[in-house]
Amino acid sequence: MRHFDYAKKTIMSIAKPLLDYSKSLKPQKGFTQSFSAFKRLMKYHKRYYWLITAIVILAVIRSILFALEPLYTYLIIINVIGPPSNTSLLPGYLLVIILAGIGYAISNFILTYVHGVMSQYIVRDIRTEYYRSLQGKSFSFHDSVGVGDLTSRATVDLRLVDMFLRTWLGTVLNAVFTTIIIIAIILPISPIMTLISMATMPFIFYFTTRLWIDTMPLFRNMQLIIGRLGSYIQQNIIGMKTVRIFRREKDIADGFKEVEDIYVNTAISAGKIQSIYMPLGPTILTLGIALVYVYAGYTLGIPGSALAVAQVGDIILFARYMMRLSFPIRDVSQTLGTWIAAYAGLERVLEMTDAPRNVEDLPDAKDIKIEKGKLELENVTFGYAKDRPVLNNVTFTVQPGEKIAILGATGSGKSSLIYLIPRFYDIQAGSIRIDGTDIHQFKLASLRRQIGVVLQDVFLFSGTIKENIAFGKPDASMDEIVQAAKSARIHDFIESLPDGYDTSVGERGVTLSGGQKQRITIARALVTNPKMLIMDDSLSFVDAKTEQEIQSAIEEATKTRTTLIIAQRFSTIKTAEKILVLENGSIAEFGTHDELIAKNGVYKKVYETQFVQKASLILEEMGGA
Amino acid sequence: MSGSYGTFSTKQEEKRKRTVPDRVLIRRVYEYAKAHRRSLIVGVSATMAGALTGLGSPYMHAIAIDQIITPKNLSGFIWWIPLFAAIVLGNYVFQYIQTYQMRVVGENVVAKMRDDMIDKLQVISLRYFSEGEIGRIISRPTNDANTVRIFIRMGLTSILIDVSSILGAFTIMFYLDLRLSLLAMSVLPVALLLVWYLGKYSRAAYRRTLITTSGLTARMQEDLAGIKVTQACAQEKETGKKFLKSQDENVKATIRAIFIGSSYTPFVIGLRLIGTMIILYYGANAVLNGAITLGILVAFIEYQFSYFMPLVDLVSTYDQYQSAMSAIERMFDVIDTKVEVLDALPERSIALQ
Repeated sequence: MRHFDYAKKTIMSIAKPLLDYSKSLKPQKGFTQSFSAFKRLMKYHKRYYWLITAIVILAVIRSILFALEPLYTYLIIINVIGPPSNTSLLPGYLLVIILAGIGYAISNFILTYVHGVMSQYIVRDIRTEYYRSLQGKSFSFHDSVGVGDLTSRATVDLRLVDMFLRTWLGTVLNAVFTTIIIIAIILPISPIMTLISMATMPFIFYFTTRLWIDTMPLFRNMQLIIGRLGSYIQQNIIGMKTVRIFRREKDIADGFKEVEDIYVNTAISAGKIQSIYMPLGPTILTLGIALVYVYAGYTLGIPGSALAVAQVGDIILFARYMMRLSFPIRDVSQTLGTWIAAYAGLERVLEMTDAPRNVEDLPDAKDIKIEKGKLELENVTFGYAKDRPVLNNVTFTVQPGEKIAILGATGSGKSSLIYLIPRFYDIQAGSIRIDGTDIHQFKLASLRRQIGVVLQDVFLFSGTIKENIAFGKPDASMDEIVQAAKSARIHDFIESLPDGYDTSVGERGVTLSGGQKQRITIARALVTNPKMLIMDDSLSFVDAKTEQEIQSAIEEATKTRTTLIIAQRFSTIKTAEKILVLENGSIAEFGTHDELIAKNGVYKKVYETQFVQKASLILEEMGGA
Repeated sequence: MSGSYGTFSTKQEEKRKRTVPDRVLIRRVYEYAKAHRRSLIVGVSATMAGALTGLGSPYMHAIAIDQIITPKNLSGFIWWIPLFAAIVLGNYVFQYIQTYQMRVVGENVVAKMRDDMIDKLQVISLRYFSEGEIGRIISRPTNDANTVRIFIRMGLTSILIDVSSILGAFTIMFYLDLRLSLLAMSVLPVALLLVWYLGKYSRAAYRRTLITTSGLTARMQEDLAGIKVTQACAQEKETGKKFLKSQDENVKATIRAIFIGSSYTPFVIGLRLIGTMIILYYGANAVLNGAITLGILVAFIEYQFSYFMPLVDLVSTYDQYQSAMSAIERMFDVIDTKVEVLDALPERSIALQ
């Protein structure tokens, strides 16, 4: 039953929302938002002001040295070639050119390197902040956002930010300084010609800005779609079995094609705008050279202004500087392009970093030791959305060492209830106390370390069995680990492996059965020898033999501990001291097995159906054999 | 048994050598591009025309200096200005066509390949989707497709532009002055050898960043998949430490790759400058002797600028080209996977629907 619900959810939640999302992306003006994202990015730069200082100094040096070659070629034309010609000056000029060139090359190299170092530091800072924030997010956050999505934001999206960070400052400074230095050189030679050659600059600036404003929303949409498309593919591949069972292959593939079409069309529209504006800057600049020639021709026409070679040299200098300027201008417009992609990527990363944490330490929280393990819930109300409570006014008390089995239909709030105790979610009203102390008085880490938790999803980290069992207590002794494994009824199996406790599990390790994995996770919960134990339903997917294995592990593990266990099967329920039946977020029945049978209510019905079902299954098996 | 299932999901594949020759891959990608043949032909032609018109402007300067300004033949501007404007505007139009058409081709080809992959993934045996292989399968239609997309959008176009600029510049230079051309190009073999030699180190460093990046991604994936366990055991700090360590390795490897990758530029720029010096030294004397004109000298310096960097870029885009080819090969691996088994489905589950 649960399996079915899950499958339906997987499919419904991928194809249609993605399509709706992609269609809902309207190309709006993203200029101001982009500016605030940029300011945010600048904050990450602050720590590295010393690197920025170095970049600025290097950029000035680089721009000066870059401008020297045309200037000395100009000097060669007017002084060496003349007239009057003077070849003795040539070696000196050539020496300056080569030295300036070497200086340029070295400063350029150092600048690229320093810039690269800064970009890696900043990417590291952003990713660390992102990672830490994810570690602090509540279960509801992690239930709603997939691992693949979160990982691709930290890798693919951050790489876009990285690409921008690698060069942006150097490129901008290069354009600014080179323009200033070139103007400073040519202005004394001819103010009017300087004015003419720079006349095109406002147009270039206008069109570059125009390109940016027009394409930015499109690129942003593209980046957002491709991010979602990646998650869609991941979910499809991860859930391939489910897709096959429900024969939704065609829907998945068609849904993908539809979104891909939207992407391709957006990319081509953006390409069209880009292709109009991008080459425009250098083109306008080059056309400006014609203006310089026309002016030169005009002065030549004035009677009495005889043309000297020196003037030809001037014209060549102006023309060459304008050709040189087209490189920084082209680079700036490319950097603006990388910013658009980086902005979309940064937005996707910060969206997660900034999402609320939900569960946090109170300022006066303390390390408190759980001595006995008495648990009291009083009028507890909780919901994932404020107006739709999952649990309503739940009140009950569990004595130290008592074991409570929790029953209820899917969606009755069973998991939510037990996960409130280690504060994986926070309650909205009421209170939860352990040994009389409100759980909010505990530091989160202190609370969680003292409550053993067995989650529904069996998850082992890649590493050895030993490391996995000792996960909650990295300094656990071998005795403690073995003790936990014995309680979880997995010790004998581990010993039977060639490498024993040092056997690797996970991607590169041995393959364990579901029951073996489950018992290792039980051992992991026991290694800290907690006074309290919380166990989610761990038997819903397993076969009868595995059920038996796990069952005996549970019995041993829960002997002396205050335990809340979600149970689907009667085998679990019968070992519990008390049974709690949840119905639509409220307690329907609470008491011992005998009490509830006598009550003749929901529990009795469930008990009978399960028993009948089990009986019929046994009969079926016998018939089959 | 497993051999008959194709090769795309083997664990060692990151280290695997490429087996399919480039020309086979290129031909197969061309099959995809065929549906947009018109755009492709127009785009490629425009790219080459754009590069050639781009080379026209230094030559036009030489003409202005030698034939109009120096001999005070001002009426020459009457034909020079429209011609110059036509070349510059023509260059603009070609660039526009090239950017747009190549975008159309690139996006559509990658989209079609991706569609084919997704279609295939829906029908191949579920055996593929075993634990541990998922990450690799996912990266085919996502990371690999993106690599190819970026390569077609940026890399391929710049290769075309570079090649056309280089060949064009060579032709014009030889036409202008054979002796000066040979002198100017004398430094070129040294530069190319240097770039190729240092490129080996740079490629190794780049591969190292890829390995550390996939390590970091795997770490992140595992940490997030196990986040509930980590929170339940309050081990955020411990897990975080391992993550930061793996991230630091990645940062170090990347910084090293940046260092090595940019270390050859000073040498290349230095060599280019030696070329410029040779031009200026012989050129200035040649102008004084009357062997060449001032305009040609200036044009030479500009052409030196316009073939040298593209050539260096070309050598350094080799990496990009290689990784695009690997990505294309892996994408075809998925597309070519044989559908041998249609998994039997439990009848009951259909009824549930």
